[in-house]
Amino acid sequence: MTHVSIKDLTKVYPGATDPSLDRLSLEIPSGELTALLGPSGCGKTTTMKMIAGLLEPTSGDVAFDGRSVLNDKPENRGVVMVFQNYLLFPYMSVADNVGFGLKMRKIPAAEIKRRVGDMLDLVKLPDLGNRKPSALSGGQQQRVALARALIVQPNVLLLDEPLSNLDAHLRFEMRDLIRSLQQDMGITTIFVTHDQEEAVVLADRVALILDGKMKQYDTPDMFYKRPVDEATARFFGGHNFIQGVSDGRMFDSALGRLVLPDGATTGPGKLTFRPENVRIWHNETSGQNTLSATINDIIYLGTQTRLKLLVGETPIEAVVNPNEIERFTTGDSLPIHLPKSTLWVIA
Amino acid sequence: MSDRVKIFLLLLPAMTIIVVLFFGGLGIGLMRSFNYMPVIGLTEPDLSAYVSVFTDREFYLSFLLTFHIAFTSTVISSILAIGAALLLRRSFVGRGIVNFLFQLNLTVPHLVGAIGMLYLFSQSGSFARLAHEFGMIQRPSDFPALVFDPYAIGIILQYVWKEIPFIGVIVLANMQSIGEDYESVARSLGASKWQTFRFVLLPLIFPGVLSASVMVFAFTFGAYEIPAILGANFPAALPVLAYRKYTDVDLAARPEAMAMAIIIALLSAVMIYFYVRYSRRRIRG
Amino acid sequence: MQETRRMRSFRILTGAVLITWLVLPLIPLAIWSFAKGWFYPDLLPRNWSLRAWEYALSDTAGVIDSLWLTIWISLAATALSILVGVPAGRALGMYKFRGKEIVELMILAPTIVPGIAVVLGIHSVFISMGLNNSVTGVILVHLIPTLPYMVLVMAGIFANYDPAYEAQARSLGASPLKTFWYVTLPAIRPGIIVGGLFAFLVSWSQYILTLLIGGGRVETLPLLLFNFATAGRNDITGAIGMIYILPGIVILLLTAKHLSGRSGAVGGFGQI
Repeated sequence: MTHVSIKDLTKVYPGATDPSLDRLSLEIPSGELTALLGPSGCGKTTTMKMIAGLLEPTSGDVAFDGRSVLNDKPENRGVVMVFQNYLLFPYMSVADNVGFGLKMRKIPAAEIKRRVGDMLDLVKLPDLGNRKPSALSGGQQQRVALARALIVQPNVLLLDEPLSNLDAHLRFEMRDLIRSLQQDMGITTIFVTHDQEEAVVLADRVALILDGKMKQYDTPDMFYKRPVDEATARFFGGHNFIQGVSDGRMFDSALGRLVLPDGATTGPGKLTFRPENVRIWHNETSGQNTLSATINDIIYLGTQTRLKLLVGETPIEAVVNPNEIERFTTGDSLPIHLPKSTLWVIA
Repeated sequence: MSDRVKIFLLLLPAMTIIVVLFFGGLGIGLMRSFNYMPVIGLTEPDLSAYVSVFTDREFYLSFLLTFHIAFTSTVISSILAIGAALLLRRSFVGRGIVNFLFQLNLTVPHLVGAIGMLYLFSQSGSFARLAHEFGMIQRPSDFPALVFDPYAIGIILQYVWKEIPFIGVIVLANMQSIGEDYESVARSLGASKWQTFRFVLLPLIFPGVLSASVMVFAFTFGAYEIPAILGANFPAALPVLAYRKYTDVDLAARPEAMAMAIIIALLSAVMIYFYVRYSRRRIRG
Repeated sequence: MQETRRMRSFRILTGAVLITWLVLPLIPLAIWSFAKGWFYPDLLPRNWSLRAWEYALSDTAGVIDSLWLTIWISLAATALSILVGVPAGRALGMYKFRGKEIVELMILAPTIVPGIAVVLGIHSVFISMGLNNSVTGVILVHLIPTLPYMVLVMAGIFANYDPAYEAQARSLGASPLKTFWYVTLPAIRPGIIVGGLFAFLVSWSQYILTLLIGGGRVETLPLLLFNFATAGRNDITGAIGMIYILPGIVILLLTAKHLSGRSGAVGGFGQI
């Protein structure tokens, strides 16, 4: 069980002017599964390599249980990194790959053999030890890479885009496997991804990094309910941002006066609400936070329908159940409801 | 036009030239080594050329010397080339100019290198003069014989000089396409720097090193002008001996020369086998 | 990965030794070409002179004639290799067919088997055909190392070439000839240029093939260089040596970026 502290971690590559990573600070509680989320080139992999000791930070610190590990060599840190493309050694059998870390620690061959067998059982590949990696499917290769990492019982496990190379049907299987192994062994795990869905599905907590800076570090649901700013909300698929002024209880804007949930920020800001939280209002009488909207476009998406609406002059987007709007067409107006608890004001 | 006809026509000119010149040359050499040449009335093949080659002490000395030259040069060049590639694979200030200097002698013919070695290492060469300057020797004859010497040190030095960049460039390209991530994985799994090199990088570059070394071995076994410039008179390297036999005033020695050529070709065939085995994917591009 | 200062100095030192060693043999050659007598134990010549260069560049010495002859032979061998090698490279790079492995092996063999092993047999045939002691014979025999090399380079180029562009051009109304000229050729031109330059160098550096087939009558630069070197004319050897390595250095400057890559072109240097 290792608590990982990252403090003001910065990396400026030689010859570059802008830092690839700018003063990142994170506290990752022991045994948690944390996602570093951000678009490609935002410094996620750089962060992982610095945690693993494969890259030297320009400034800042990485500490395990309060002790700085910057001067520890990569092989002594107890950090294992699993790369996105698995990087199984192509000239070794699956069993030799899994046993690699133990062999480097000069553990007797018989014990390696036994532990490799156990590990392959654990990742549900019991009979493939003698194959070459090239004879395995992508999902199997990933399991081998995971087994190779876990067999050395690392303090910290780093995963680079662990689900992104897998087909949709394998993703949930692998997600469950990673989560169960991680929980059973209690290994502090950090993974990086550019895919918000992957982050949300797998992580206990998500750190969103945009432009080399950390935007928000929270449980997954908070990125939908309480994004810190517009860029964060947009990264998670937010669409509606309405300029206005909040007094803490009510929000005044082109949409009129809307009632806010408790704890909303005050002053000028943007009101945001997710398209899927926009409701069609079926009651005859108008209630709290109900508005009249005109349908500008209807985009049928199969299980959902996306609506482009105009409230007065203000465009907003809504995602609704297809059968809810069966009787409407473009140009119709309809009443909509923005539930108070789904509204959020960002500065 | 069907694909088969197209492929046939595309290959026809090149294969004609290669078959006629290369395989024709080999075939004629083979026939003549057996004293078989119906056109000039030799219709009874025999083994007399091989018998005289294999009963000649000079041939064995020559063969051993040539093998020693090729083997030693190839091993030393390969090891140093791997070291050089390790040095040059990282980016550093001035990498462009260092890379250029590293590749410079790739385009310098062996013959020029051999003459350069002669001027550096002969008993009145630059190193002998340096030794004199530092008071280590008096007369040129005090300087150790590094050219025209029985151990072929000058020849080996020349090949090492020439082949380090050749193998090095191939290994470097190999390392670049492999990337550093495999080594990162190994480090994070607990391998030390040495273990990472020994168990990860070396096995990954091994096929590339081996196919380059095989080419070097075959070349150094069969090259004429380098031992002709830097080698001792007796025993001479096999290609030099073959050339001497071929141009001997005694025309009867020609089949012996052909037999030696065939022996060099057979050894090359073994090299081709290794090359194909370890670079099957590389030939296909 | 972190690097200590000691390792850094070790790296720089070994790098410096390596580069010095690789350049070293060319230095006495260059000095000799400007020396007027350079006797043991002088580290540098006492007197400098341009005599060797004047001699080498004069009309009477035959060096200039030999230079033109060498250029002509290498250009001819290169042109023939391109002409014949490009189609063969296309067949090997773009198609799978029965017996392909045999064909590849037959093309690979001449790049590994040393010239001495085949040239003796060729010589005895060329005598009967009257091709010995002739420039034509020398050009033909130079095809043994240059052509397979060109085919292998072009096979690599065509393996990464997408014939769909040609189909697209044809469907837009281009004739086969125009398709080749406007679509295929521009795509493979860099490969032809780099392969051609190196094939030129391969021919440029041939010694034993020229010596035997040319019978001493076709005196290319390397033959001249060898003769002066073994005759002990170090100053003239130095001057000819400098002239002889010049094209290679120019070609290296032109193609440096192609070498750092993974191109099959590097293989040709095994024979230079």
